[in-house]
Amino acid sequence: MAKTGTWIAVIAVILLLSVAASLFLFLRPAAGQTAEIYVDGALYRRVDLGALAAPERIEIRTERGVNVLLAEPGRIRVESADCPDKVCVEAGWLEDSAAPIVCLPHRVVVRLTGGTALDAEAG
Amino acid sequence: MDVKRIARDAVLTAAALTIFIVELQIPAPAPIPGVKLGLANIVTLTALFTLGPWDALAVLLCRVVLGAAFAGNMAALLYSLTGGLLALAAAALMRRLLTERQIWVASVFSAMAHNFGQLLAAVLVTATPALFTWLPVLLISGTVTGLFTGLAGQFAVRRLGKYLRHTHGK
Amino acid sequence: MRRASSALLCLALLLILAGCAPQARTATVFAMDTVMELTAYGDKACVDEAVSLIHALEARLSVTAADSDIARVNSSGGGEIDPETAALLKRALELCKLTGGALDVTVYPLVRAWGFTTGAYRVPGDDEIGALLEKVDYAAVRVEETAVSLPAGAMLDLGAVAKGWTGDEIAALWREAGVKSGLINLGGNVQTVGGKPDGSDWVVGIRDPFSEDVMGAVSVRDLAVVTSGGYQRYFEQDGVRWCHIIDPVTGRPADKGLASVTVIGPEGVLCDGLSTALYVMGPEAAVRLWRENAGFDLVLVTAGGEVTVTEGLEGRFTPMGAYTDKEIKVMRRG
Repeated sequence: MAKTGTWIAVIAVILLLSVAASLFLFLRPAAGQTAEIYVDGALYRRVDLGALAAPERIEIRTERGVNVLLAEPGRIRVESADCPDKVCVEAGWLEDSAAPIVCLPHRVVVRLTGGTALDAEAG
Repeated sequence: MDVKRIARDAVLTAAALTIFIVELQIPAPAPIPGVKLGLANIVTLTALFTLGPWDALAVLLCRVVLGAAFAGNMAALLYSLTGGLLALAAAALMRRLLTERQIWVASVFSAMAHNFGQLLAAVLVTATPALFTWLPVLLISGTVTGLFTGLAGQFAVRRLGKYLRHTHGK
Repeated sequence: MRRASSALLCLALLLILAGCAPQARTATVFAMDTVMELTAYGDKACVDEAVSLIHALEARLSVTAADSDIARVNSSGGGEIDPETAALLKRALELCKLTGGALDVTVYPLVRAWGFTTGAYRVPGDDEIGALLEKVDYAAVRVEETAVSLPAGAMLDLGAVAKGWTGDEIAALWREAGVKSGLINLGGNVQTVGGKPDGSDWVVGIRDPFSEDVMGAVSVRDLAVVTSGGYQRYFEQDGVRWCHIIDPVTGRPADKGLASVTVIGPEGVLCDGLSTALYVMGPEAAVRLWRENAGFDLVLVTAGGEVTVTEGLEGRFTPMGAYTDKEIKVMRRG
């Protein structure tokens, strides 16, 4: 049987590393102003928040339910959703964080990515 | 399976479900999927340390499935099942390494395993590896909530252990 | 504790260093009737050389500049041309043959008659079209080494392949110079070198033929992405829309049920030539040609808005905007 002190030390190290990693991940500004919306793991839409002139409502309707997103210049949030836990709505605005907004029940993910959405456009 | 065992596990499941439903009324401390107190784990922990892994597994499975049904959130079943099983496995593996005064240690690792399992399921379901960004936060929240439920579980084992064990295996 | 913090510091340093990429060198060039944007991660000289290359190619290939290789051949019915122009002409003639004449480098007299070279648009009469069609026959073009000869009245135009060729040339130049990451956008005719500096694929949008938005995106590396569609240039007369892609068989703007064709493959000149030819051929013939030939993939948008992609693009093509809810048909060779 290991001493309780040893266990405390192990847990403290994990905790410390996690705190450092969280600070690193969440204080780091997001790479850019493009919101990517994923449904079921597939890219549903890209919104260039920098190029947005007026607020835009994006309704995502799947067999699992409805999420209504509100994109404004520079930020995006889930305005309402009929999911059971409402974690996505409570997450609030996503404007400069690398951490995504997630609605697990509806399998919807909103995250910010770098630069403009597309590197080039053919046509 | 003897009647005593069924009755005893059913009582534990009922207790776990009650705690689970009550916890649903408490708002999540942070708007991050997976961050919650996980009070129902007190019961799983108690079952594990007094009755062994198989009874704990039975209580866990019944609680998770019924809990998802009662909460009307069947979509969450996959996540809580993955998390719950991984958490139980972690605690069961650590059981032999710990004294009765160190049960909370198992609970901390169990909570971390729970959050990791949930996250893994979420990453697989949504095919979004970016969700791993949450891992450090979930580990922190797991440590804190695991410590809390662990101490509560340890207390429960000390006070209820002899009554539960009394009905065990005979 | 000290060990843990120094490990953390190392980790942080590593991440910062990994974030450092070679500097982006860019240039914007107005050439070949369009805006070209070049981005290379590497030496500044690479971009400068590419700009000179574009101007040199335009000077040789332009059908309107009086002293270009093409203009000289067109005015005198033949003559000596630059070895590189000859190489492009030979490759273009191969593509004409591959597409059964749906691409035809001698269709220029008709393009001019419809006014697409000058902007003085008009609908020519049947007799005029019939007379001009007699001059259209890529098979009658003779190339020996660097000597070209045309039948009387025939005219060459390499406009349908010039940008694709230019992209190939720049890409070759950059690869030789050790550029690991580059993006060449010749007015919507895209050629990529390697992937992005962070190691991920380039994401190239494909224009929606029915709106100003994109209809989807493909992630590519070391590939060209070229789209042709009637929406790119057209005029309307008496309620009829006439697009700039002339069918060399009918002498009239192509109208075989496609709204746009995107060809994706390693050879830009092939993608460029095929995108035009397949637009002329229509959806069924386009898929047939794809089945019979390797080296490229397709995104077809029909006039009705249906989307077909070929199997090589599975997992690389992402529909966007109004197309996210649509059914995307995947064509297989098997």
